[in-house]
Amino acid sequence: MILLDRVSKSYGKGMAAIDRISLHIEPKEFVILVGSSGAGKSTLLKMITREEKPDSGKIVVGGIDYDDLRDKHVPHLRRKLGVVFQDFKLLPSRTVFENVAFALEIAGMTNREIKSTVPKVIDLVGLNGKEKNFPHQLSGGERQRVAIARAVARQPKILIADEPTGNLDPKHSWGIVQLLEKINAYGTTVLLTTHNVDIVNKLQRRVITLEDGRVSLDQAQGGYKQ
Amino acid sequence: MSRRRKNRSKNSLQALVHKNRHSILTFWRIIKYGIASFFRNAWLSVAATAIMFVTLTIISVTLISRNVLEDTVADISSNIEMSIYISQNFADPEIVSEITESIMSLDSVVSVTYISPDQARDDFRAEATAAGDIDALQALNEATNMFPGTFNIEVTNLDDLSELEYLVEHDELIIAAIDPRHPPSFLSEHREAIDNIAGVVVFIERGGVIIAAIFVVISTLIIFNTIRMAIFNRREEIYMMKLIGANRSFIRGPFIVEATQYGVIAAFITAGLCTAGLFIINENAESIGLVVEPTISMLGSYWPLALLGLIGVGAFIGVFSSFLATQKYLKLQ
Repeated sequence: MILLDRVSKSYGKGMAAIDRISLHIEPKEFVILVGSSGAGKSTLLKMITREEKPDSGKIVVGGIDYDDLRDKHVPHLRRKLGVVFQDFKLLPSRTVFENVAFALEIAGMTNREIKSTVPKVIDLVGLNGKEKNFPHQLSGGERQRVAIARAVARQPKILIADEPTGNLDPKHSWGIVQLLEKINAYGTTVLLTTHNVDIVNKLQRRVITLEDGRVSLDQAQGGYKQ
Repeated sequence: MSRRRKNRSKNSLQALVHKNRHSILTFWRIIKYGIASFFRNAWLSVAATAIMFVTLTIISVTLISRNVLEDTVADISSNIEMSIYISQNFADPEIVSEITESIMSLDSVVSVTYISPDQARDDFRAEATAAGDIDALQALNEATNMFPGTFNIEVTNLDDLSELEYLVEHDELIIAAIDPRHPPSFLSEHREAIDNIAGVVVFIERGGVIIAAIFVVISTLIIFNTIRMAIFNRREEIYMMKLIGANRSFIRGPFIVEATQYGVIAAFITAGLCTAGLFIINENAESIGLVVEPTISMLGSYWPLALLGLIGVGAFIGVFSSFLATQKYLKLQ
């Protein structure tokens, strides 16, 4: 599903953000990426979403070899991925319904399909009755749920969650993680980055630890090694 | 074989219909979100529309002013007397006719009217009577008629009197007939005034275009910068849309629709206020020596075209500015 083969990326001389990382993530896996700030987590995710290009190495995601991917086809790649960010990145001038619908509209779904799909996704993330609210009328946890709804509305095979609990309190954080587990149970591969020790230890999933741009530990059912 | 070909053409037709339906749907959504965004970002829309209004007003006022000034100068020009005065000895109908023909043969001359010494005296008497100038009337009755015969000439271009000057200085009959006490008006002390007015005409015709162009460029830069700032504030939205997989036209479209609305609404406001302004100026135009009536009459006849032009300019500036402003953020991966 996600394959990285000796991928390197550096910003300037002698500053390797990612140093010859090789990874293989199977379909339907739930993988947690941990590491201190500057370890290379965000760079790794940015290369998977093609915000950054590697200096060397090979990346294949969902059968798409990035070496063969032309810039004009990047939007098509991103429509196959679901992405959730720490700061939500919602459209502030659009309602909850419209934010979720946006992901479907860019994929060219009809209004009828959107009207039938969006309520189901909003129901899945537990935001019934908030469809007409704007992001500024929601709590942090609710905003992240909207972001997750938007990410999974197109039923992507892969969901990338970059520190989705970073701005949330413990109660809401655990709610979001449970939601990600639920989505994973439906068959979506989840790649989660977090600094939250409790979440990593509680989940007991595969944990990949990054240090100085390299994989220092890859545990099948691990915890947070500090 | 034939069935396979039929199926293939059916499939390509279905793909084409699907593509067209998708394009129409996308277009409709771009319009919908552009309009919604205009109202949801109300303060931003009000500010941008106000700047666009100032821009369009500068453009309109520049164009209208140029028109009014041109009409005013044309009016002044037509009132300038280009006259040749002849002695009474030459005020014979045959000579007058010959001189009239010589003047009319010039390309730079539009018309010539002749006022005889008798008619000039009658006109003077009528004016003096109307003004109640008893001294003038008494002098007129006592003195012999000293008025010369007058050729009033209308020329096509005040700036070019060379033909007329050449004729007056080289035509033997005219040289002989000219009243030595009254040299032609365009060769005498009036010459400086005529040159000054001609200079104003040239300045308005040439300088007006340059000034209008400078104003248009400056005001376009102002609105461009306003729209650029508005889009800069929303660059995160563009970034997010890109990450979700929206293509360029779907991201850029609503911004363009939004900016077009600034232009269209500002065009209506500008048209309304400029028309009102013109009517107000027209009421006092005579006292300040401006000729506004022809401009009002022209706008009255062609108002749909003028409004459409204003909307077109506003919309164009909006589309152009937002297109360029979004370009920067769309370039990023």
